[in-house]
Amino acid sequence: MQLKTEVLIVGGGATGVGIARDLSLRGVPSVLIEKGDFASGASGRNHGLLHSGGRYAVSDPETARECIAENRILRKIAPHCIEETDGLFISLPEDDLDFQDQFLRACERAGISTTILSRDEALSLEPALNSELLSAVEVPDGAIDPFALVLENAKDAEKHGARILLHTEVTSLMVDKNRAKGIMAKDLIHGEEYSIEASHLINATGAWANRFLKLADLRIAMALSKGTMLIMNQRPNQRVIHRCRQPSDGDIIVPNHTVSILGTTSVRLEEVENFDIFPSEVSLLIRETSRLIPAIRESRLIRAYAGIRPLFQSGEKEDDRAISRGFVLIDHGSRDGLHGLITITGGKLVTYRLMAEKTGDLICQKMGMNVSCSTHLKPLPGAGERTSLLDRLKRIGRPILEERGEILCDCELVPRDEVEKFLKEEKVKDFQDILHRTRLAKGTCQGGFCVYRLLGVLHDLEGARGDSNKILKGFLEERWKGIRPILWGSSVKEEELVESIYKGIFNLTPTHPSPLEGEGKGGGAMV
Amino acid sequence: MHYDLIVIGMGLSGLMAATTAAEIGKKVLIIGKGTGSLCLFSNTIDLLGVLPKGIKINDGLSQWVKDHSEHPYSKLEWERIKEALFSFTSLFPPPYSFQNIDDGNCFIPTGTGTLRPTYLIPVTMIAGTSLNKRDGLIAGFKALKDFYPNYVAAQLKCRGVTLPLPETSTPQMTSAAITRLMEKETFRDRISKEIKKHLNGETRIGLPAILGLRDPIGVKKDLEEIIGVEVFEIPMLPPSIPGMRIFNRFKEWLIQRGVTFLLGHAISKANLKGKRCEGVEVFHPPVSSSYSADSYILATGRFIGGGLVAGEQKILEAIFDLPVFQPKSREDWFGNSFFNEHPIHRAGILTDPFFRPVDEKGNLVLENVWVAGSILAHHHCFEEKSREGIEIATGYWAAKNAFQI
Repeated sequence: MQLKTEVLIVGGGATGVGIARDLSLRGVPSVLIEKGDFASGASGRNHGLLHSGGRYAVSDPETARECIAENRILRKIAPHCIEETDGLFISLPEDDLDFQDQFLRACERAGISTTILSRDEALSLEPALNSELLSAVEVPDGAIDPFALVLENAKDAEKHGARILLHTEVTSLMVDKNRAKGIMAKDLIHGEEYSIEASHLINATGAWANRFLKLADLRIAMALSKGTMLIMNQRPNQRVIHRCRQPSDGDIIVPNHTVSILGTTSVRLEEVENFDIFPSEVSLLIRETSRLIPAIRESRLIRAYAGIRPLFQSGEKEDDRAISRGFVLIDHGSRDGLHGLITITGGKLVTYRLMAEKTGDLICQKMGMNVSCSTHLKPLPGAGERTSLLDRLKRIGRPILEERGEILCDCELVPRDEVEKFLKEEKVKDFQDILHRTRLAKGTCQGGFCVYRLLGVLHDLEGARGDSNKILKGFLEERWKGIRPILWGSSVKEEELVESIYKGIFNLTPTHPSPLEGEGKGGGAMV
Repeated sequence: MHYDLIVIGMGLSGLMAATTAAEIGKKVLIIGKGTGSLCLFSNTIDLLGVLPKGIKINDGLSQWVKDHSEHPYSKLEWERIKEALFSFTSLFPPPYSFQNIDDGNCFIPTGTGTLRPTYLIPVTMIAGTSLNKRDGLIAGFKALKDFYPNYVAAQLKCRGVTLPLPETSTPQMTSAAITRLMEKETFRDRISKEIKKHLNGETRIGLPAILGLRDPIGVKKDLEEIIGVEVFEIPMLPPSIPGMRIFNRFKEWLIQRGVTFLLGHAISKANLKGKRCEGVEVFHPPVSSSYSADSYILATGRFIGGGLVAGEQKILEAIFDLPVFQPKSREDWFGNSFFNEHPIHRAGILTDPFFRPVDEKGNLVLENVWVAGSILAHHHCFEEKSREGIEIATGYWAAKNAFQI
């Protein structure tokens, strides 16, 4: 196979698919490749906060202005991916009330609307809040479903002619003199290698930006900052809750579907993959967020996870919280003399569309085209759908048993027919893709039961690939990374249950070959 | 009310202790919040599945105990473990009896198509132990989401078939519901004929472990008569129907023998005086009742059973606040890989040779309390495949020791 296109986009996060949509609406052909599934990096590993910009109003006014402008646009073009919760910035007795003044003035300058609430007003809106609070400021924050947002952009891009290839990795860059001509790509499912030629290459790989640039012996100054988050098994707050102070660790609580997400930490990393979550981060998050909502201390956590923020450094700064959350668009032609290559990185999920717009502008300028961006005007395909939590609960209510058959995930009520529907889509290639697109494995048992069932369904539909026990073991290891940091209290019971099933009843061990391959520890070979 | 013995916990170890005491004519009360791991995970009787394949159990276990001197088995050794197992098996006369194969571990296929070592198996599972490539047909049901015949079959390199459930109106069935259906002759008849149509030279049929609660052997025979080949059960996701059969048999026997059986009741408080337990309070809303006995057996299981509680920093014992042997800090509870042998699972109650609780220095903590089952320290029951063996052996001997016989 050999592909030729005008623009090649590398990276299937919000930025990449946003660019694919932007270009497709302007009539510019593009191909997007992604080595995993959509939103595998920071786009899928954040707390799903639709920033009003309030958080950055004092420290980073430019980002704050971008956030509020994009916040308003996203509410119009992607209402089905957003829950309009609003947010409260809470001042506690130990917080400096001068900061609240500073915060209010900064919000005003950035164009973020604010309402000051007394202690009693705040408590009547959010009874779970720490009753010691002094006052609160209401801002137009919201909750956003990042994965839905990315899928919707991808869908619209494809509808308008973009081509998207998942599970496809860049293996090398093709350079002719001082011009990038394309890449060699590898289909990770089938192993096929082929070339993709393009007039323009866009590096939208987020935290992987330098890994991609290494293919061209280039590098940009970027810090990798790990943010750890915890998922509670309930949703004590209906609004986003922040601490009204300089952005710090453990000062955000975002309601998301049926749970709330506690965030975040900021730890500098050198490597973009294989990172751990430290017990100290978990303790810190609980200590800090329970100052906002005391019940957090007694609540059950269901998982810890972490994402990596790609932060662009204009100068050297020690504290990652002080580095701008703004994005950067680099033309490697003027910067490094390698024409045809652009890197776009940094930024926030909320500003993905603006990042795509600026990238699209640059491409059009280079192509000598005079077509302006329209992504801020045209709603995403599903914008008319009703997708609030209440709508979802109604949909998965009573009729399900008669109409939809088995419920594969009892925690999140995911029916078998929802899974079967995704399996019929061409892009869905492995069980991980299904986990991304449904609520499977997102509930209290974190896939302890439903992933086994999913593999069973794959076998029923003749869609199983490879050794299912190997996949199951891989999943249990991956799940472990998120579970281990929060194992105490009732979570230990759940863990004993899962171990008793997989190590006990099913006798899965890492060294255990399938019965026909020979003898493993504690296992037996079949004659 | 005063008893000779109060057993706290209604899993396999508690049931075994109550049976042992009732057998010698003692007045026994057994109290349980639930049925413990028995009805969740127990399908067969594991004794020590980690032993090398093919070794005789008495040789293997005797050697293994020498290398694991702190393990609960090391307080008993083979002869006494054998005595306890005999007491268990004599509760299950044919037709639904437990057997071992050639005095060693045998291997049964599981719901993920792995083979799992175990010691005593119910006769409904025997035909699975000698399954060969391609000679089995694995069958399951469309609406049963906890068993996937094609998954199992792919691992075992044989064929699988998913059968529709014509008689049901609900498109989702639990294993308990299918078990009840299996007890209906008309249903068995239809299912057997359906399976027979799919046979293609296979000499045995593997089904999920749902062959009825009351008369699994009758169900098995009926199926075999119509299909014409042997049928065997395969352990699946919890709950465990074979575990429920074990529970039901104990319950029937204990009630027949006049044992007071309080299921669904939790101990709210133990009254201690010096090194003795003087009584327990049972809160069953809205009533609180007190019971006392000469001796007590603690058989409350681990975290699922509620015997152990994982606090934010420390593991505690729930009823008597006994000292718990455990890793130094929470960070040491679990390893980096799911498949590690996590140190938390070796945590538990330390005892003297008679299963009375001691502290880390070996001092007796309570004189009239004996401890049995998985709450004991120094075993790793899922890794060792020793859960039921530990429960049966320590439940039996805790009761024997309580009456010094």
